[in-house]
Amino acid sequence: MKPLSELQQMFCDGLRSAAPPSPVLLNEIVDDGLQLERFNVYRNNFVVLNGDALADMYPVIKRLLGAEAFRLLATAYVRDFPPMDRALLLYGERFADFLAAVPELSGLPYLADVARLEYAWTAAYHADDVVSLGQHQIAALPPDGFENLSLRPHPSMHCISSDYPIYSIWLANQGEQMEETISLDEGGSQVVVIRPKVEVEVREVFPGSLALLQSLASGETIGAAYAQAVEMDAEFDLQAFFARHLFDGTFCELQNQPVTD
Amino acid sequence: MKETSSNSVAAPVPRRAGAGLKPKHYQAIIEQQPDIGWFEVHPENYMGRGGPPLSYLERIRMDYPLSLHSVGTSLGSHLPLDITHLKNLKALVERFQPGLVSEHLSWSHGYEWYTHDLMPLIYTEESLKLIVEHIDQVQEFLGRTILIENPSSYLQFRQSEIPEQIFYVEAARRSGAGLLLDINNVFVSCSNHGWSVAEYIAAVPHEMVAEIHLAGHSIQDLQGTRLRIDDHGSPVCAEVWQLYQSYIEANGALPTLIEWDSNIPEFPELYAEVRFAEEFIYRAGESRHEATL
Repeated sequence: MKPLSELQQMFCDGLRSAAPPSPVLLNEIVDDGLQLERFNVYRNNFVVLNGDALADMYPVIKRLLGAEAFRLLATAYVRDFPPMDRALLLYGERFADFLAAVPELSGLPYLADVARLEYAWTAAYHADDVVSLGQHQIAALPPDGFENLSLRPHPSMHCISSDYPIYSIWLANQGEQMEETISLDEGGSQVVVIRPKVEVEVREVFPGSLALLQSLASGETIGAAYAQAVEMDAEFDLQAFFARHLFDGTFCELQNQPVTD
Repeated sequence: MKETSSNSVAAPVPRRAGAGLKPKHYQAIIEQQPDIGWFEVHPENYMGRGGPPLSYLERIRMDYPLSLHSVGTSLGSHLPLDITHLKNLKALVERFQPGLVSEHLSWSHGYEWYTHDLMPLIYTEESLKLIVEHIDQVQEFLGRTILIENPSSYLQFRQSEIPEQIFYVEAARRSGAGLLLDINNVFVSCSNHGWSVAEYIAAVPHEMVAEIHLAGHSIQDLQGTRLRIDDHGSPVCAEVWQLYQSYIEANGALPTLIEWDSNIPEFPELYAEVRFAEEFIYRAGESRHEATL
């Protein structure tokens, strides 16, 4: 008689495998001539249920690839990277890297970055609820020493930089119909995904803005982050940046950096 | 039931019909305030750090009693329980003060990864001891009694030596847990394995049952053999309604959940199904008494 651990692991091996279950496993099932079919209900449910969770997270990828191709890729992904967490909320973390490594998809080089955007959307959706800076706090900003302040972006924020127009691609696939044709000649795009309140917002920003936000998120002062933004984007305009982003919920905390020299 | 937290009071789940709460129905429920006795959710769907699902649940919990029906504890697994998961579950229990907490007679991980589907148990004394230990551990951790649900299954293991209904009742009896009787699962499993529904239900002591589940299932044809698949994707079938009616007429009304987890309809269709169950409860003549597990 097999110990429970061995039986359950054998069951899991059969569940995850692309090949039919082993005769040893089938021999553990009560014989009515349908052991294979009965086991396959579980094997099929495993890839379908977890594949459905991926489809929920990646609706644009599914639309770009078509339902059938998406199902095949999702099945392969579920078998390669089964869920490691008890909750399925963020299942599919490695799907973008997985897509980037599929040779048959090399003609769709933007796919992985669109997947990164979609993952960021769900991650932002389930992120911590934190109140953004209000008008009063911003009005109380000291007029001097601005560059030594540390301005923390909202914890739901994700920054994605792509060589492809992923914002336009994502946006065009939000409605019921896709009429627009997007040319890859549009060039790269920088996208911020953030949930300051209830709704997740997807915003296209300038390259310098993305660099600034990433630096601020890593704890740099406004002065240091500005230097990085200008290095990335010579035309970066800090005043325009603040005019747009100081009141749109991007930031949640303001701190005076202690003088360190 | 003893409260473990005094911040707020758990609303008991009434002996009425309730519905599985689905994100696509949040708005309709908040706007229409339908006359539904209670709602049930899978706590695993609310284990994010924040976000709209938790806010909606908080809003809906203000108006309705709640039941947490866990799918991720993996009580029957040979691996130890995951303490992080138990902590997450306890945090939700403290925050939302559910009237009932339940989990399945099943397992979902054999390795470090999760199947996210309910796997069939082997019914042996070894496996019974293990699941009793795990139920004890969960109850102790949460500081409250939980309910155990009978599974639906598509295969039986040759090593099994205890009939499922005996194993199910014994697991609860030894751990002091209550029972969640899923009548659709009884019908599906009995049909798939050629067991007697009447014998199954007769073996389950009604005084241990604190909640009933009802759902739809589909039928798959395997070379002429009909296999019933518990997909929760359609209305409850006539045979299951009939079993339900006889059960509550004989044993009195119980909190009864309509589960609809795939091909989820618009809210009015789910509501109609809940009202239909409620009619049986009225007819059984015992509505609006509170469950007192």
